[in-house]
Amino acid sequence: MVDWRLFEPLFEFARKRSLWIVAFCTGCGGIEMPPLMTSRYDLERFGMMPNPAPRMADLFLITGYVTPKTLKRIIITYEMQPDPKYVMAHGSCPLNGGIYWDAYNAIKHLDKYIPVDVYIAGCMPRPEAVMDGIKKIMEMIENGTADGWKRYKENYEYYKKNQDELFGEGWREKEARKWIPWLMDKRREE
Amino acid sequence: MLETVLKAFLILLYATFVGFMFMGIIRIVTARIHRRVGPPIYQPILDTIKLLSKKSNITHGLIYDFGIIYALGATILALMFIPLGSISILRAYGDLILITFLLEIPMLGIMFAAMSSGNPWAGLGAQRALLTLLAIQVPLGFAIVALAEFYGTFSTYQIVMAQQSMGWSITHLPLLLAAIAYDIVLQAMFGKEPFDIMIAPGEISLGPMVEFGGKHMGILQIQHAIALFAETLFFSNIFLGGAVITAFASPILNTIASLAVLLIKQIAVLMIAIFIGAIFPRFTIDQAARFYWKWPTIIAATGAILAAL
Ligand code: SF4
Repeated sequence: MVDWRLFEPLFEFARKRSLWIVAFCTGCGGIEMPPLMTSRYDLERFGMMPNPAPRMADLFLITGYVTPKTLKRIIITYEMQPDPKYVMAHGSCPLNGGIYWDAYNAIKHLDKYIPVDVYIAGCMPRPEAVMDGIKKIMEMIENGTADGWKRYKENYEYYKKNQDELFGEGWREKEARKWIPWLMDKRREE
Repeated sequence: MLETVLKAFLILLYATFVGFMFMGIIRIVTARIHRRVGPPIYQPILDTIKLLSKKSNITHGLIYDFGIIYALGATILALMFIPLGSISILRAYGDLILITFLLEIPMLGIMFAAMSSGNPWAGLGAQRALLTLLAIQVPLGFAIVALAEFYGTFSTYQIVMAQQSMGWSITHLPLLLAAIAYDIVLQAMFGKEPFDIMIAPGEISLGPMVEFGGKHMGILQIQHAIALFAETLFFSNIFLGGAVITAFASPILNTIASLAVLLIKQIAVLMIAIFIGAIFPRFTIDQAARFYWKWPTIIAATGAILAAL
């Protein structure tokens, strides 16, 4: 067998230089994503690419406040991504609730539900700040400290406990079945 | 025997490398059209390394894995039939119909894999891809008929040789029409913009590619690189005169020179595709089918009739 550990520096370099972003625009931050990709702050210079499919993505940008309803989708999307995957959270809202600190339906600490690698503070951070965060995550990938995906595997009980506390046990099944009664009603009406 | 295997391997290596460079060129040129800097030219290689080095992988069963390998194999086989300057393995058998057929097989392989994943987006993308595939057959068929009618042969190599004495295909009017039709078809075969309906990023999430992650997508990247190389090579062989250079005394210099000439022609074909792709928005699938059965078909049919006269 080939010892793949020999090639690990090459892999780390490739991972660092080709982060594909899953375009999941939550909250206000969705508006700050397009300027990052277009001609002024062109992120494609670093090999980053917005990507609509979670299966191919590496970097998950949480761009703003997260409601419990969105968090379910975020967790499912996060779990769909293949393994070396990194999470970057924009703005104050995922950090500690931001201006929604007393809202009943905004998540206060995103880190309790999925592991975050880099936070960027600011109530809409400037694109420069986001680029700074991206530089930071590139450094972290290079020296192996961007290990959110490992933490998620090792501490799964912790994350699962927090998720279940928020949504109640068996929320995945409930979410999937949610629309069936409604659809049946619709059919009966016709 | 051993020599043939070695030659096939070298051709494959060259095609993969140049194909990756082509993918990089596509991204850079598109970026420059948008006034962006764009990624470095070796970016697709980094992407592929990253995708192949993913630590976890998903699979949806046997067909899901097999479809990808099938697509890659078909592309490599197509490449082996196309004359690459003076070197090629199977050029004696490389007739037009076989190569056009083999260049479309990879799409079927991707369809297999996408369909077996059970993702509704993939299924939707597969349907659209199959309709595109159906639509491009008509102008493609007429273009091939025009070529065969004009040169009286189906063999790609003989067409290349005939062009050495008669001038490039596109200098003759009937074949110029066929070339225009073929170039419009090429846009759909590359999956570039006006006809990238089967991939449709943003519209249907990524179409058939939506479920591929990790190693599957890495292999698909390699397949895409080789397919880009093969398709541009086929076009420059049949319409732009290929390259048979006998100016130098030593055969190695001749080979290198013909590879360089081919490369320039391939990049020219690619550039046209990029420029069209960067400025045109996407068609919907019904518009694309109607378009292909109208204008390129009329152009190619005129070419075929003129060639037969
Ligand atoms: S941090 Fe500010 S800009 Fe960002 S989501 Fe929260 S309120 Fe909106």
